[in-house]
Amino acid sequence: MISSEQFIYQPGEHEAEKASNSYLMSLIALIAGLPFPIVNLFATLIFYFGNRKGTYFVRWHCTQALLSQLSVLPFNSFGFWWTISIIFSSETITNNYIAYIFTLIIFNVAEFIATIYTAISTRKGTHVAWWFYSDLTNLFCRP
Amino acid sequence: MKKILFQAVIIISLIFTVWFALSRIDWMKIFKVEQITNKTEKKLGDLFWELYNNSGKEIKNEEAVRPLDSILTKICVSNTIDKSQVKLHLVQSDEINAFALPNRHLVINTGLILAAEDEAELAGVISHEIAHMELNHVMKKLVKEVGLSVLISMTTGSSSSEQVKEAVKLLSSSAYDRNLEKEADIKAVDYLKKSNINPVHFANFLSRLSDKEPAGIKYFSWISTHPDSKERAEYITALCNKNTEYPQPVISRQTWDTLRQYLTEKKDKIKFDE
Repeated sequence: MISSEQFIYQPGEHEAEKASNSYLMSLIALIAGLPFPIVNLFATLIFYFGNRKGTYFVRWHCTQALLSQLSVLPFNSFGFWWTISIIFSSETITNNYIAYIFTLIIFNVAEFIATIYTAISTRKGTHVAWWFYSDLTNLFCRP
Repeated sequence: MKKILFQAVIIISLIFTVWFALSRIDWMKIFKVEQITNKTEKKLGDLFWELYNNSGKEIKNEEAVRPLDSILTKICVSNTIDKSQVKLHLVQSDEINAFALPNRHLVINTGLILAAEDEAELAGVISHEIAHMELNHVMKKLVKEVGLSVLISMTTGSSSSEQVKEAVKLLSSSAYDRNLEKEADIKAVDYLKKSNINPVHFANFLSRLSDKEPAGIKYFSWISTHPDSKERAEYITALCNKNTEYPQPVISRQTWDTLRQYLTEKKDKIKFDE
């Protein structure tokens, strides 16, 4: 699912730090905005726009971080509003709801681990490409 | 591009597969969700009834309660409902009202019995309230109107008595939403048919009281809080099978008259004392 690949050039120290920060940004936001899925997206989005004119390596990793956040947003939002409707409306806790929350936890934890691993590797200047997301990133991000 | 789309489909399918697989596990049993819900409902029911019965207006006289109990037993037995779970309370009040509290407390005011012409009309109202209990409308309404967090705080004793009073008022003097009322009516008709009680009496009761309503609205809680009584009477009548014959009543005419006489005398005595 995650592979270390050779980037088209060897990124410098400063680039590696910025690229790594794009992943850390989504982690910090994840901790701060745990119950509010939109917070994570906003934080990554702000970082993305801040580095839009950065080097290719930085832009590429900002885009991969942003796309991963974007893709989990609908699933997390659905779970969030489902929970809200249970607390504040006549909706009741069902087996499907509990199963959905566990599914969310599994995928969010997987993404969390992948993000930490990628942040550490990118900081060392290693180019880490995620399955599906790397191909999607290549579509949006050109050298 | 094809590769990306294919990968996207795989990821989405993977999420739904995990969700489906996890939903096969009986989490409700593992986390004892129903047990916790039942415990909360029991605490709320006892708390609400205690507060409502604060004035001590419950009538416990066997002569008055037994006929009601017979009607309730007939409906429960005919519809395989656990009767022992239903707590029947007859309350001295001129208000034409009956309502269900959590944990299957069924409250019937004497005013409602005096307004009913026969036992079948009363059976209609009882069936309607049992339907609310069976369909879990009581807790649904409370969670929707009061909120789960406030309800839980009530059971732990950390909410104000005003909040508890408001919740009791909500159940005793306001209607469920239109869909829930209709659902309870349809279920009530089903219960009545299975109990060999003609549901047309229930429709007649609704129709008759809705005609009288403007004359004394303060006593017509059950009708004024249950909107569109005319419309309800119409669809209940439509659900009745005119060709079906119903055997003898659940309680005899004599028992019904004795009950009404007892309640009338009690009412007069209270008025005299006042």
